[in-house]
Parts: sequence; structure tokens; C-alpha cells
Amino acid sequence: MQTPFRSQPRAVRALGLMALAASAIHAVAADRVEYNRDVRPIFSENCFLCHGPDKNTRKAGLRLDLPEEAVRAGKSGKIAIVPGKPAESELVRRLVTSDADDLMPPPETHKQVTAEQRETLRRWIAEGAVYQPHWAYIAPTRPAVPQGGTKKGTSATKAGNPIDAFIDARLALQRLKRSPEADRATLLRRLSLDLTGLPPTPAEVDAFVRDRSADAYERQVDRLLRSPHYGERMAVPWLDVVRFADTVGYHGDQNVNVFPYRDYVIDAFNRNKPFDQFTREQLAGDLLPGAGDEARVATAFNRLNMVTREGGAQPKEYLSKYAADRVRTVSMTWLGSTMGCSECHDHKYDPFTSRDFYSMEAFFADVKQWGVYNDYDYTPNPDLKGWSNDHPFPPEIEVDSPYLRRQASQWSQSMRAVEARVAKDATRGALREAFVNWRDEVRASLVRQPEGWFSPKPSRETNSVPILISDSAVVSPSGTGEARNGESVIRIPVSELGQGTLAALRLELLPDGANAITLSGGSTTIRPSFQWVDAQGKATSARIRFAEANLSEPRYANGHEMLGIQDGWKTSSKRSKEPHVGVWLLQSPQRVTTSLALRVTLRTDQIRNFRVSVTPLAAAYPLASGQRADTAEALSPGKSGDLAKAADALALPFLLGSDAPAIVEARKEWQTAHGRWLECRGGRSPVVVTAAWKPVPVRVLPRGNWQDESGEIVSANPPRFLPRGELPNSDSLNRLDLANWLVSPANPLTSRVFVNRLWKQFFGTGLSAQVDDLGAQGEWPTHPELLDWMAVEFREKGWDVRHMVRLIVTSGTYRQSANLRLELKDRDPNNRWLASQNPRRLEAEFVRDNALAIAGMLNLEIGGPSAFPYQPANYYANIQFPDRDYRSSASAEQYRRGLYSHWQRTFLHPMLANFDAPSREECTATRTVSNTPQQALTLLNDPTFVEAARVFARRLLSGSDTTDAARIRTAFRLAISREPRATELASLTSFLQLQRVEAAKQPTDAARLVSVGQWPAAKQSPIELAAWTQVARVILNLHETVTRF
Amino acid sequence: MNSRPNPLTDPDAFALSVNRRTFLQRSAYGLGGAALASLLERSLGVSAAQVGTPPSWRGVLREPHFPVRAKRVIHLCMAGGPSHLETFDWKPKLKALHDQPFPESFTRGQQLAQLQNKVLKARGAFCKFTACGKSGLEISDLFPRIQSIADELCVVRSMQTEQINHDPAHAFMNSGSIVKGRPSMGSWLMYGLGAETENLPGFVVLTSAGKYGLQPVSARQWSAGFLPSKFQGIQLQSRGDAVHYVGNPEGVCQSTQRQVVDEINRLNGMLATDHVDPEIHTRIAQYELAFRMQSSVPELSDFSKEPKKVLEDYGVKEPGDGSFASNCLLARRLAERGVRMIQLYHRAWDHHGDIERAMPAAASDVDRPTAALIRDLRERGMLDDTLILWGGEFGRTPMGQGTGRDHHILAFSVFMAGGGVKPGISYGATDELGYRSVDNVVSVHDLHATMLALMGIDHKRLNFKFQGLDARLTGIAGNVVKPLMG
Repeated sequence: MQTPFRSQPRAVRALGLMALAASAIHAVAADRVEYNRDVRPIFSENCFLCHGPDKNTRKAGLRLDLPEEAVRAGKSGKIAIVPGKPAESELVRRLVTSDADDLMPPPETHKQVTAEQRETLRRWIAEGAVYQPHWAYIAPTRPAVPQGGTKKGTSATKAGNPIDAFIDARLALQRLKRSPEADRATLLRRLSLDLTGLPPTPAEVDAFVRDRSADAYERQVDRLLRSPHYGERMAVPWLDVVRFADTVGYHGDQNVNVFPYRDYVIDAFNRNKPFDQFTREQLAGDLLPGAGDEARVATAFNRLNMVTREGGAQPKEYLSKYAADRVRTVSMTWLGSTMGCSECHDHKYDPFTSRDFYSMEAFFADVKQWGVYNDYDYTPNPDLKGWSNDHPFPPEIEVDSPYLRRQASQWSQSMRAVEARVAKDATRGALREAFVNWRDEVRASLVRQPEGWFSPKPSRETNSVPILISDSAVVSPSGTGEARNGESVIRIPVSELGQGTLAALRLELLPDGANAITLSGGSTTIRPSFQWVDAQGKATSARIRFAEANLSEPRYANGHEMLGIQDGWKTSSKRSKEPHVGVWLLQSPQRVTTSLALRVTLRTDQIRNFRVSVTPLAAAYPLASGQRADTAEALSPGKSGDLAKAADALALPFLLGSDAPAIVEARKEWQTAHGRWLECRGGRSPVVVTAAWKPVPVRVLPRGNWQDESGEIVSANPPRFLPRGELPNSDSLNRLDLANWLVSPANPLTSRVFVNRLWKQFFGTGLSAQVDDLGAQGEWPTHPELLDWMAVEFREKGWDVRHMVRLIVTSGTYRQSANLRLELKDRDPNNRWLASQNPRRLEAEFVRDNALAIAGMLNLEIGGPSAFPYQPANYYANIQFPDRDYRSSASAEQYRRGLYSHWQRTFLHPMLANFDAPSREECTATRTVSNTPQQALTLLNDPTFVEAARVFARRLLSGSDTTDAARIRTAFRLAISREPRATELASLTSFLQLQRVEAAKQPTDAARLVSVGQWPAAKQSPIELAAWTQVARVILNLHETVTRF
Repeated sequence: MNSRPNPLTDPDAFALSVNRRTFLQRSAYGLGGAALASLLERSLGVSAAQVGTPPSWRGVLREPHFPVRAKRVIHLCMAGGPSHLETFDWKPKLKALHDQPFPESFTRGQQLAQLQNKVLKARGAFCKFTACGKSGLEISDLFPRIQSIADELCVVRSMQTEQINHDPAHAFMNSGSIVKGRPSMGSWLMYGLGAETENLPGFVVLTSAGKYGLQPVSARQWSAGFLPSKFQGIQLQSRGDAVHYVGNPEGVCQSTQRQVVDEINRLNGMLATDHVDPEIHTRIAQYELAFRMQSSVPELSDFSKEPKKVLEDYGVKEPGDGSFASNCLLARRLAERGVRMIQLYHRAWDHHGDIERAMPAAASDVDRPTAALIRDLRERGMLDDTLILWGGEFGRTPMGQGTGRDHHILAFSVFMAGGGVKPGISYGATDELGYRSVDNVVSVHDLHATMLALMGIDHKRLNFKFQGLDARLTGIAGNVVKPLMG
């Protein structure tokens, strides 16, 4: 067998051997040649391109994919296949002829049928040339579970699990048995990483190792299946196929509001939503009777395709791109089929026609969308009038976000905690004097103006447009035309207030009789600027913390509605006849000094009248600033009353209004919490959804050319050659019909495709390796009966995903040791018989999660908006429209799980990209698993992993261990769920000693290393911590740490 | 029959699609022990800075299909789409028609970008052209230094593409497809040919930006798509770490980093004695490579040994300032160190308006460095096996768009130099108004097929099984344009 390869390099020889070994797998049970298993792959690889389904590339009028065609005399009068008579079959002759003109495949194709393959074809014809329909297109029926096999013997054999029966039967043909079960610690680490993406804690491992009950393992399975992190882990591959990302992908790659869909997916897996319902909701949730928010959020699925708002893009061209993308995604995700090929021509290997492709497109013809999400003069788009690059991508709805609600409540508690502390300190602590002074000043000022807002009459500054100023301090720009087209600049003599501080500013835009606040009657955007001017005329900008208005229209920044009006106030056009009131909270209170004035500058070309006021009393909701019912009593002049009661009522206005140095820290703390609370937007979030509108006609586009309108109009229909099941014969099928058809018992593909992908998730390779193509070019499954058994089980048990997962992970096959078996390296080089488990590197997200979990810093919150892990500076420099900056998340959000990472399609986070996460521009059913220097660089040097190492080191040093050896043991148990071997312990111990010496030599470096990242600094000695940080880096970089065995 | 391993039926191509680990490891059981040994040997043996004898790894092609003319490619990508009418395609008739209605016979039924629904007027070139060198190639006066090397250039005046917006047009130019997730040219080259260095990434991307006419570019333009991520382009940053994560962490010096890597590999080695998993050996080798990359990248971007004259020739004001000039010099240094594919994006060519100010600015950004790079490679004897490609993702309309020109796909120009192309020629032609390529039309697939042929590759035989198909850079199209080859 080796002879033909002898003259070639070693690697080539090895590969050749492997190929032969691979075909040997099939040859074993083959007393008879089978079309699907043995012949179709040869035809598909070598013949169908010219003698297959695509009429445009067909040569000599010959089709080999259809039996009735292949046995017919061709143009030459010769017959390609004469069943039972290879000698008379032209096909056989053409494979071996020495006439270069006749030889098949033609030499110029560089395709080659091997001698072994020729023999297979010859035998097949000799045995009668029996065709079989392609296996994946015949609805699966439940095969009998093999009996016997290797049931007794190893403890790995879990009697009764049908998976094992199929696997064992196949192994038995080879006279092989499964490997023994992995040891308990390995098993639990495998199970935890596979089911939740998180490593087990040492306590969990210990408990399992000690648990001698018969169902110890099953109970671990149940525990992990019930974990809320199960949904997170299961979501990841689904998010790949549906191409979930935070940005639109084309051109400016702007943000899109979509995270609630991710939450929906996580939740669906956690609640074990039946896969048929999961399918219906995503494709057609809006069409379900009584569709609530959940089903509507699910329909974001139809909006996850890449979209553009590039100037000069043709809407029609992009609508055609979007439609094709949807067909590719749906056909790959549910049908495991590469329908994308049929956009331009009939599929060359499978029976999908171009018409099928556009008939599938037609299901989505009612999805409300725009080709170009903008309004340009060359492509006017009245629906999106005034749209810019910062706008969202409609249609959207607003929904509850449980994560944001939890966060809002947490931050609001933080605010209240600060207020309570201040109240306490104001009564009897360090702040008592400051409080009493502040209250006295405010009381004094309230004597003049009980409502707390002061409007001293301003004067006009010389650079102002002409204005009139009334006695009630109302300012009215008075010029006309050009003269009015500028800024009103006024100076307000706030020193008139006497002793005290100011905490908030108010701007009122006032209508004038029946006239609106603006000259046009429509909306205007203003950006007032506020400056403090002292006695010497020196001006400093008043720093603003936050501002809001009673009436405004939304403004957007890169897809998100901007919070507050501090960066611009767009007035209401609908309610422009009502007074508009805006209040600006100051970053820190301003002491009123002699001659202090407030200068206000604003563009007033559209503004009729305005008035500016100031107050010492600020509130959490800016509009509630000024005197209020709940503060009135505590501030009423003359009453001294109960100080504690006053402090309770006044804690917040005091906190925001006092300029005492002792309160600065508390104010900062409160403001941070307040800022974060605001960002939670009341626990609500917008999300893109599917809204139906009038379906647009869908045509077959010849050669996929969107400008060619000569093709016929098609109605929504599934591919013609697949069984329709209950689907009515109608020209008005909709997305719900499609969803129902996908999960109907008649559909031969959906359940197989799903369980095959699931298999890959737990074993590394699908039962049919090509999980994204079960068609003719895919792979004949290694265990076809098992695949069918599982497909039927999945469907008949109510599309119960968790049931299938449990079946897999409780099988003895899954529980085997992952030590590859050297004696099988030639017979089964890719371990497709599964005589052992396969070790597998963790996926990108879980590489991150695992490191943070080991360090004890992983944020285990579920759901919510995407987070921004540290990222190299300027990584988004090449993104524009709008220009992008990247601010890494603060506090706990920095440590969120990898699946919540902001997914920028055009520039995926380098850590994710280096570990093979897809950009999710296109449906991806298979992630490559590479092993590259970039991965080493990431684990060694990415600040995320360096920070994790130093926090891990701190964890080791602050634990109960007291010796180096004990700490190294703990580190191993945390990272890889096992004790170090003696050699490992010795090696790391001496490495630690060396690092202590090194760190002591460079104490400044040590200090820098142990302060990487924003995690609070540790109290341990930087030298000791630095040495342990290097140990932790080594452990986080180990192959074993990023691999599940 | 043919005894040579045929890439189409080559078992490893299939193994790759079935089980990538097999490819990386030759088999799940490490049949490639010898290969691994040599990988380690290479990793440990040669000094990192040694130029000329860099370690290398092989691609899937064991023997070239054609004679190898070019070993590496430098693609000077003029992102945004430069006007062919003010670079290499002189159209006196268009000039004569300036400001007159553009003949409808040309434009009826054609796709336009921002000129949709607009009155179309001819816009003649705003600059002069000069016939240059012995070849007499006509080149716009906006490029005086490129004019001076006219006899090195092989200008294609009859390009066409299929995509009229920047994003898909870049994707088409780079990957031959608008479907996302397809490998870019550079990734295909790495997959097919391997690399001549492992101290540096084999496919490097540099970006720079001009003053006007900027458009975004996406990392997908250098993505490995469905090929293993090993083959992806690595963008060198002009600020911060040149390669992401190539710098040691804060407070870790090179000798400590070495100790850390040694310890990681020592422990991984212990694991390997206990577990049968060839990935462990690969991991060990990758840590060695990573450490070497950490040493090589700083050396690469250290311009201090470049003579002042060289800096002046390229027009480098400040080395490493992220300018196109600095990037061109870096490109030469990358080429010297065995990098297979070097791609420079200069984002400055989207001239919808104010073209008379914006285009001279963009031209002056690239004119001097481009000419200097070609001349420098010539002087170093490297131009013969370095293929230069200069051009954008599409051309611009001969119809004016206010003070500029719109995107145009029916005609544009690119030039190649070195790497086995015929020097001092122009190929193909557009019609008299520069609207449509009419003679010897060259499609993007043809360009790719030709470039691959120059690298010794038959574009029909560099395949990767993906979703059941033999995917290739040229899709199902592409013809080698033999007259371009010297």
C-alpha cells in the first residue's frame, strides 16, 4: 500500500496513508457497494459538475445523478451505465481509456478517479447499478437499536443508552471496545465546560469525587443542565449560525440595537423551549396569534443580516443581497444545505434550482426593511427622512431587559446608601458643621424666593444679537433676518443671591401667546453654554453633570438614543406651543461670590423667548430641582427642628449643593452610581424586530443579477424536490408556513441537521463531518443509523433539546477518556469510530470565561447589553460614519462573559478573532480550531489575561494556604481540576523562587505588573505578588487550561 | 495516470475540511512527528534577526503549477477608488466634451451610485498627461515620480469590477466574492505557498489615511475566511504594539518573558508525556514562534539603520508615523524578511467632490513613496520576484458629480510592476470617453488568475473544500491574461 507513495515526502505519504485508512472505514462492512455511501461521493466529486443537475453546465446531454438518464443512450448512441454489465458501460471505458480526448474526467479538470474508486464503480455497475435517493433527503425513520455489542466490561458502558449501542456496534465490527471512563475530576471538568462553559470549583470536584452513589454522575448532569449558564453556553453556536452581532457589518458598520435577542436565545435554552417553537418564534413570531414581546424579540432573527447605509448604494441591489443572505442562513441553519449556490444557477450537486432559491426568498418578502438605511438625495427615502449615520435601524420595539432592571435597582440602592451615610454624618458625624452651614444659607436664600429658583434680571453682552429683556427676566431676541441669525449672550448677576451655593441651572423656552417656542413652529436643537464670570471678568465654563427637559425629541449617537440633553436639546415639534423647561445639574456646586455672574450663550435664530434661572437645590431627576414638598419643612425659615429628620430629608440636596471639601468624595460616589443608573434607562431597551408590510414581488434573477427583471415572479415555497408534508398548495404561504414546514415530520433535514451539530459540540466532529452541508458534497455519516435514531428521537420527544443533550452527555461514549489511542492511529486517524473522546480546545468566549473564573473575577450576571473588554488602542481607526472610539467597560462589566463581548463585525475583538470566533457576517456552522502564535501572544500579553493572572495570584495569596506547595496545589485545582504531579510541583516551585529573585531586582517593574487592569490593587507585597503573578501566567497559559480533555 | 499528487484530489485538502486538526498536525496522532521536530528545530535554531535565511513553512502546493515569477506581492491599495481619468487613462475626447451633456447612448440602463436620478454631464481630466520613458506610457502629471519609472510599469486600462459600493467592491477585489467569510488573496497565497518566514506573520496589512476622500475599510478585507486563522492577514498598527499583544505586559522584561515561556513549555512537555494529544506539541511550538515574533517585530519597525537618503527617497518625514511613505519603507523591510503578502491601504481616493484639490493631495501622498519602493526593490535585485499591484477597488465616472466624480465599475486602471510582468506596456483600452472597457477587458477574476499564475499557481487548482464545494479565489471564473506576463 505504501509503494505508490515511496518517492514522496514523508508528510505526503502520511496523508496518503490516512486517506486509505479513511476509506478502509467504509470498506469493512461493505460486502456490497452502496450508492450513497460509496458511489455518490465519487460522482459528486468528479462527474456531477458536467453531468449533474445544472443544465447550464451539462455536457453531452448526460446526467449521472438520475438513474433513468444514466441508462439511456446518449447523443453518441453509447450508454453510460448498463446495469450488471460494466464491460458494456461507456462510463467504465471512459475512466480508463488511453485516448486523452475520451478520458473522464477530462485531464484539464485536474480531477482524478483513483484505481480503487474505479473498481468501486465497476463493482457497483456489476451489482446492478442500484441508485439510492440521497440519504439526507429521505425522512429519517427510527432504526432498531443494535443489541449486544460491548455492553459488559468497562464501567464506561452505560447500559441502556442507545447512543452507546450504535457506537459499540460499529466498534465491534473492528473488534474494538470503547476506552475506559475518564477519571471523575476530568469528567466533571469536561461536563462543566461543555454544559456551562465554566470550570468546576474545587469543592464541586471534591463532592463529585467523594459521591459514591450510583447516580452521582447523572446528578451532576442534572445540576449543570439546570444552571442558568447552560443557556449561555448553548447560545454560542446558535449565535454563530444566526450571525448575531452588535453592528450592521457593511461600510460604516454602525451599531444596531439587538442584545435582547441574545437574551431571548439564552432564555430559550434555559427554559428548554422546544426547538419547533424556537423555530416558529424566530422566523415568524410576529405572525403567531397573540404575539407578545418575547415572540417579537425572537423575530430579530430576520433582521440579523448585514445592512448598509452607505451613500450611493442602490436600495434594490442591497435588498437583493439581504434576501440572498436570509436564504443562505435559513437553508444552512435548518436544512444543512448550501442553497447559496442557487442564487446564480441551479445547484451543481444537489437538486436545488434557482427557482427554489427565489421561492425561499419570497417567504421574507414581507419583512419591513430598507435597502439603504438613510435618506440621500440620490436615493430618497421618505420613510427615514432626516436620518443620519447615528440613527438606529428600524423597525424597533422597546422591551423590558431583566438585566437592566436588576442593574438599575442595584445602582439606585448605591445612591440611596450614599445618601443615608451622608444623612447620618450630617447629624452627628464629620459633616454636621457643613450641613448646618449649608442649610442656613439655603434657608436665607429661600426667604427671598420660596420656590427655590432665582431669575435675576440679565443684561445683554456686547457680542449678543439684539434682544429685549423683560422685568421678569424673559429674554426675547428682537432682530430680524441676518441680525437675528446669531447668538444671544446674556449676563446674569447671580451675586444678587447673597451667601450660598448653586447646584442647578434652568432654561425655559417660552411660547408667546398662540405662537410656538420656535419661529418655524417646528423643532430646533440648541446647545446653550454656561460660564461663571468673576469680579475680574475672568470666565470659566460651568461643568455640567447631566441635564434633562420636560419636552424633547430623541437624538442619537451611533444607534443609541442619547441620554439627557447636555449635549444638545432638540425641542419637540409636536408640542412646540407648550413651554419647554430644561434643567442642567452642575458637576460640583458653585459658590456665589461678590460680583459673580452667569454668562449664558445660545443660538436663538429659532427661539422666541427664553429665561434662565438658578437654584441651590438639585435633585436626582434634574426637573425636580428647586424647593419641593419633601424638603420644604426642613428648610422653612425660623424652625430649627430635629436635625436628624432634616438631614434625612435634605441629604441629597446637601450632597449635591454643598461645597464643603468633606463631602466631595461622597458626591463623586453618588454621581457615579447616578450615571450608571441613568444608563439603565429604566430597565428598557430598544430592539430590532420583524414587522410585516406588503410583500414585495420576488423574481428569479438570472445569474443573480439584480438589475435583470426578465425573470419570472415566484411565490413563497420550499424547495420543490423536498416533501411538502402538510403544507397547503398555495401561492400565499408566509413565514409561519415556512417555520411549520421546517419542523414538520415530513422534513427530512431539520432534525438531522440540529442533532448533527449538537454531536459536533460534544465530540468535536459531526456524525456527518460536514455539518454545514448534508447534501451530495457532504459526507456520508460515520454512523447513519445513530444519526437517524437521534433525529427521530429529537422530533418525536417534542424537539426537546435538553433531552438530547442529556442523552449525549450521559452516554458511555461521551464519558470515555480523551486519551487518543495510539494503536488506532492508522486505522481510524481522525477518531471517527469514537474509541475515545476527543480533547478539544475551548472556544474563544470560553477561553476568556475560564481564565476569569479561575482568577475569581468572572461576572456571572446573565443577559443584558454587550460589554467592552480591554482592546488595543486605535483598533477602530479605520471605521468611519461615524468615527469610532472604544471605551472599555468600567467596573464589573469589564469582567462579563465572552458571549457578551461587543461584536464589531468589521473589526472583531482581536482576542476573539485569534481564537477563531467568526465575525458573524455570514451564517457559520463550523468554527475552525486553530493553534497559532497569535493565541500564545494573546494569552501571554493581552491585558485581560495579565490582569487575570495578577488577580489569580492575589486569590492564591489571600487564601488559607500558607506554603508555596499548597498554593500551587490550589492553583492547579482551580485551573485544571487536579493536583500537580511531583515533577510539575517541583518545576513551578523553582520557577517561583526564580521569579522572587527577579522581582526583587526590579521592584518598579513588579509594581507595574501587579497593577495591570482596573481590578483593585492588592495589599500584598508587590514583589511576592509579582512572583506569583508569573506563576499564575504560566498556569493560565497551559495547554491543559485552554483544553477540555 | 498522473503520479504527482493532485491538489484537487489531494487527501489533505479533504482532511482539512473534515478535520482541521488533521491538517495542522498531519494526523490526530501526530504522524507528523518529524514535521514537528523540524518545526521546533527551526524555531530554536536560527537567530531572530537573521535576514536572508528565515525559517519557512510550506503550503499545500508541493510543486508549482507554473514557473514561479513572483515570490511575494505588495498590493498598494488606493482605497476609495482613484479616477482612471486622472491617473492612467487619458481621454482627449472627454476633455473636449467637458461640461456638455454626457451622451445617453453610453449610460442608458447602467448602474450608478450617487449619480442616480441626476442630469449627467461630461467631466474632462483636470490635469495633463505626459508620454513617459522609452515606452511612452501616458501618465497623469499628478504623478511625476511614477512617470519617471514608467518603463517598469505594466498598466491595465481595461479593468472592470462588479461592485459599485466601497465595502463590497473591496471584498470583491480581495476575495473574488461578495459573500462574506471568503478568504482574501493573501490568505490564499499563504495557504498555497506557505511562508518564507515564521518570525513574522506571512501576510501583513498596513493602513494610512490622506486628508480627503476617506472611506472605512474592514478587517474582513484581510480575513482568512473559511481558511484556518493561521492564514489571516495581520494588521501592523502604526501606534501601540505593532502586532496586537506582541509587546510584553507592563513590568515584564524580555528575559522574564523568556522564563515564563520556558516554564509554560516545560509544563506542557510534561503534559505531553501523559496525554496522547498532538495538539500539545503544536502548542509548544507556537509559544516558541510567538516569542520569536515578539523579538522580530520590534526589529522590523526599527528604521534607525536606514540611511537618511533612503528616508528622503521615500519621503518619510518621521519613521513609523503611519504615513503611506513610512508604510512603503516598511513594506520593503517586510519583503526582505520573507513576508508573502504585504497590503498597504491608503484611504484617500473617494473624490465625489472637490476632486481638483483632493486628488492632487492623494497623489502627492503616494507618488514619491510608490516610485521609491519600486526603484529601491529594483536596486536591491528584489523587483524581479516581487509583484507590485497598484490600484483601487473601482474607477470613477467620466460624468461629473458636482466638483467630483462618482463610483464607476465599467472601467478603471491598475498597474503592476516587477514579479514577471511585462514592463513598459499598457494593456486594454476603454472607449473614447473612458466610460467602458472595450478592448481586452480584464475582470477582477482575470487579474487574480494572472497574479496567481505569476506566483506559479494555476488558479483552478488552488482549492479548499468548503460547504461541499471546491472553493477558490476566482470562483468559477478567471482567465490568465498572458500578454501581461513577461
